[in-house]
Amino acid sequence: MSGIEEGTSLDGEPGNAGRREGASRTTAPAYTTSSGIPLSAHYGPGDVPDDHWLKVTAPPGQAPFTRGAYPEMYRSKPWRIFQLSGFGNPEDERERIRFLLEHGETGFLMEHDRMTADHLYDVDHPEVVARRDDVGLTGAVILSVDDYETVLDGIDIASTYAHAGGAVVQHAPFANACYWTVARRRGIDLRRLAGTGQSDFNLTYLGCINKVQVPPRDGLRFNLDLIEHCTRYLPKWVPVSIAAYNAADTGLNAFEELGALMANAAEYLDGIRQRSKLEVADVAHGVGGVNLRTSMDFFEDIAKLRAARSMWERLLRERYGVTDERARRLRIHVVTAGSAMTYSQPLNNIARGTLMGLAAVLGGAQSLGVSGYDEAITIPSEHAHQMSVRIQQILAHEANLTAVADPLGGSWLVESLTAQLEERAWEFFELIQREGGYVATLDSGWLHQRASAGASLAMDQVENGDRILVGVNAYQDDVSPFEVEGFEGTTDAWDRAMTRLAALRRERDSRAAASALRTLEGACRSEVNIMGPMLDAVEARVTVGEIGDVFRTVFGNWDVPIVF
Amino acid sequence: MSDEPARILMAKTSLDGHWRGVTIVERALREAHFEVIALGMATAEEIVRAAVDEEVDLVGLNLGGRSAVVERIVAELRAQGSDVPVMVGGVITPQTKKRLESSGIAVFPPGSSLEDIVATARRLCEHSAEMKQEAQ
Repeated sequence: MSGIEEGTSLDGEPGNAGRREGASRTTAPAYTTSSGIPLSAHYGPGDVPDDHWLKVTAPPGQAPFTRGAYPEMYRSKPWRIFQLSGFGNPEDERERIRFLLEHGETGFLMEHDRMTADHLYDVDHPEVVARRDDVGLTGAVILSVDDYETVLDGIDIASTYAHAGGAVVQHAPFANACYWTVARRRGIDLRRLAGTGQSDFNLTYLGCINKVQVPPRDGLRFNLDLIEHCTRYLPKWVPVSIAAYNAADTGLNAFEELGALMANAAEYLDGIRQRSKLEVADVAHGVGGVNLRTSMDFFEDIAKLRAARSMWERLLRERYGVTDERARRLRIHVVTAGSAMTYSQPLNNIARGTLMGLAAVLGGAQSLGVSGYDEAITIPSEHAHQMSVRIQQILAHEANLTAVADPLGGSWLVESLTAQLEERAWEFFELIQREGGYVATLDSGWLHQRASAGASLAMDQVENGDRILVGVNAYQDDVSPFEVEGFEGTTDAWDRAMTRLAALRRERDSRAAASALRTLEGACRSEVNIMGPMLDAVEARVTVGEIGDVFRTVFGNWDVPIVF
Repeated sequence: MSDEPARILMAKTSLDGHWRGVTIVERALREAHFEVIALGMATAEEIVRAAVDEEVDLVGLNLGGRSAVVERIVAELRAQGSDVPVMVGGVITPQTKKRLESSGIAVFPPGSSLEDIVATARRLCEHSAEMKQEAQ
């Protein structure tokens, strides 16, 4: 039961204040960005602060990287076409990944079942059995390393960049360990294995809160363990990737998204510094692969990516004294806003996906996922997935967008917005520090209140017509309605996983599995890095639910600060 | 209707913890003077038990998974002698929406207006109150 009495209701002041502010706009439309930065009718040189001009005299590829991560940008490094994929059985996930790679995807992201993966439950756990229809709807069911073998069968992981799953913090150590184990068994040198984990706090503790999960302080320890382990043994692997996207799609505005990103990074890097086993400079590259959202404020989103690089460079230089310029370079994966995709007139979402993707490209993203046109209706069908790839290919090949880096550099508007976002984002960063730091704002519910206020404001703007959404609150007529079939994946994922689970428990060396779990529990209770024992446990074919049992025993459950 | 505010039970049927949508709806209902009981992520059995125990006037379900659970919940409520109406919101295919609507369940996919949701909740709660009075 998610505490009816406990926690803070989200009906607090910030939201109500937002509502009144939103409502007042019906009479006099104010021209602002979506985060509320006022917009003039035109811009000129006087709108860009001098210190900002100084910053952007540095060309792309040079600190502070406002103008791009690399000197030649897409000439030398095309952005990676990188779409989230996964549902049903391990075989279903594999077929969809292969389908996307055949259609031009240049990396793949694995999405695993929310109940079994995110909650670390086996399929026979009562909470899962009670919802067995839902198993496999939003990601493949992965019980053990055996299922990772099935998903990755026939996929060249030595040369294809992958996201190994493990978006949720408590799932990440297991997900990464399974992927690395498959790679090691194939004889791939892990020092050369390129790819990314995620283990995102904004998803786990802000936007999508599990019913049961380790508290943020213990999640932080997992992430520091991952960072340490990868820095030593997998230098080309991004150990954790902060997905500010999830903060934005929960309701934080553009500068709040940036401020939260930096505060989240500071929490990780402070932790590394306190452990004093590694220098911040050693881990900076690994932690510098992040994820941001573009949505439907074109110029603000472009400015946001530029400001993110500049802020990152400053954070590492000023707060941590990182002298190597390359270690202060931020790489950005962009996901276009799922929340911008509409249920009605779904083909309109192809135009939205194109605009949001274009903003990512003009902002200098290193990789991109475009939400499916059926995002508001279902998990992506093959066709919607293919369209997301095609949109990216049209941007990459047809519109002559890739020849020149930072094509909007020097635009008075874009430079002005970049400078203003950066200034406001640092203020938000300081606000979070005053609240005790990023993790403290998750434990207290402060960040949830901010996101909730932003989400309510956005909803009110649509509700009262201040913001037009085509096909939703305006232009609802449709001469020839295009009905999305509503892809729902496979319906046998729970049954087949139950069969696999029984076989696994019968076939494996149960004493080896039990012993590996005891060693893992010992590591959890000590200061030993959990990744070594986790890899041993994965090799002993432990299940996702057995890992969960260890974590629940040692760490307990997070006391969620909000009611929903 | 009596002076007591109508009571609405809100629950999430799956283990998907995205709270943005459901809290916006809960807020709108509270602002419209409903009493809202937020149950969070709960199984069909827990939802039915809470609806019966709390004698609510309306059950609002946030779907984060498949839809068969809605019919299971409705069937179990009726089996326990409860006529409480049910409304559903979340990511729902058009076919599912039609199916649920044909069995008298109000369905609100993404993009639904809060005004519509509140108006429907009011209508369903009034109906619920009339049924209760008749039963007495």
